Amino acid sequence: MERTVAGLGVALPEPVLFLLKSGVFLCASAVILYVALAASYPAVHDTLHNFRHALAVVPCH
Amino acid sequence: MSLKNLAALLALVPFFLLSSALWAEDISIYFKVSPPLELLRPYSDPATMTLLITGTEGKPVAEGRVAIRLDAPEPGRFFSTDFPLVEGSRLLDMSLPLRQGKAEWKYLFPIRGRYRLTVEFITPDGRTVTKTFPLGIRENEQKWFFLGIFTMGLFVLGVFAGRIFTRALSNAKGRAAGCLLVSMSCVSWSIDVAAQEVGQGKYFGRLEIVPAPIGKPSSVRWKLSGEENAESRAVLLTLTIVHLEKGKTVFSVERIPVAGEFAMNFQFTDGAEYRVTAIAYIAAEPMLRTAQNISIAGVEPPARAAIPALGFFLTVIALGLAVGRWSRRAAPS
Repeated sequence: MERTVAGLGVALPEPVLFLLKSGVFLCASAVILYVALAASYPAVHDTLHNFRHALAVVPCH
Repeated sequence: MSLKNLAALLALVPFFLLSSALWAEDISIYFKVSPPLELLRPYSDPATMTLLITGTEGKPVAEGRVAIRLDAPEPGRFFSTDFPLVEGSRLLDMSLPLRQGKAEWKYLFPIRGRYRLTVEFITPDGRTVTKTFPLGIRENEQKWFFLGIFTMGLFVLGVFAGRIFTRALSNAKGRAAGCLLVSMSCVSWSIDVAAQEVGQGKYFGRLEIVPAPIGKPSSVRWKLSGEENAESRAVLLTLTIVHLEKGKTVFSVERIPVAGEFAMNFQFTDGAEYRVTAIAYIAAEPMLRTAQNISIAGVEPPARAAIPALGFFLTVIALGLAVGRWSRRAAPS
């Protein structure tokens, strides 16, 4: 199986590396989506209020 | 009571029950919405809702009242609407007098789904006939379009990321992947204002509004005050509620005959500022205008309402990642 060096001196199989990167990417996406679409922090909420309502399935106050 | 009298009384009971049922069968309740329900969308334009009550031979009943209750659609199975606190709650509870068998009001539907309008016709002698009308309101097509575009964007993002994350990376591609992850992580980090305008004449109108949080009906009450007989004075009342930010009328009744007072329970479905205006027309008196601004505090929806949408968006990204990886692997190197 193809092996790739992750950069920290640890050799990992390529599929595992893909899963790791994808996992980090999905976690970052989840945080961004939560802040943008669900957080009640006023600055974010007020800026994205219309956008949230425009998506039909995102709850707002 | 003698047995003879008791027997006579018992014989009359079925007669009363039967006559009441026969009377109820004569009454018909018709309901009309304008524009038609198929054209109505949440928070677009207020609908004019008309009730017609007919009696024997289809003639409109001469007098009586209708008690009107409007219930919001029940929560959906998966996705929330944009006002989850409104779902399944009581939106409107009022009683309107009939004029030539008709009662009419305007209402702005706040969310998509199937509403339930329950109408109870009450005759002057207290008898009632009840009918429930289901009202289906469809979501604004533009919102579905935006949702589609957003979902597609997330999918494309997932595909790009999937392609970048697949295989051993060259220095340039590795930097691109690093930049993608770094940029993703960088991004992630009632008071009432009363404006009661007191008339200069013998009478003046008072608006008493007890604002409730979203999801619960607020008490809206208009009362004629002034001279001694003000409470029983016949007036024609126009009551309008306007959502100031959107500039839309969310509720109105026009020139309904009331005896010095009108009260209803109305749910303010959006956390925003509203203006409630009452105009009373009294015979041989100047028109009375009363207005009040009220601010409804926004309530944060429960976190569980957002989970389905966030889960859906993340699933789309994950799907994009898988497709990106597959496309990269399938392509000849």
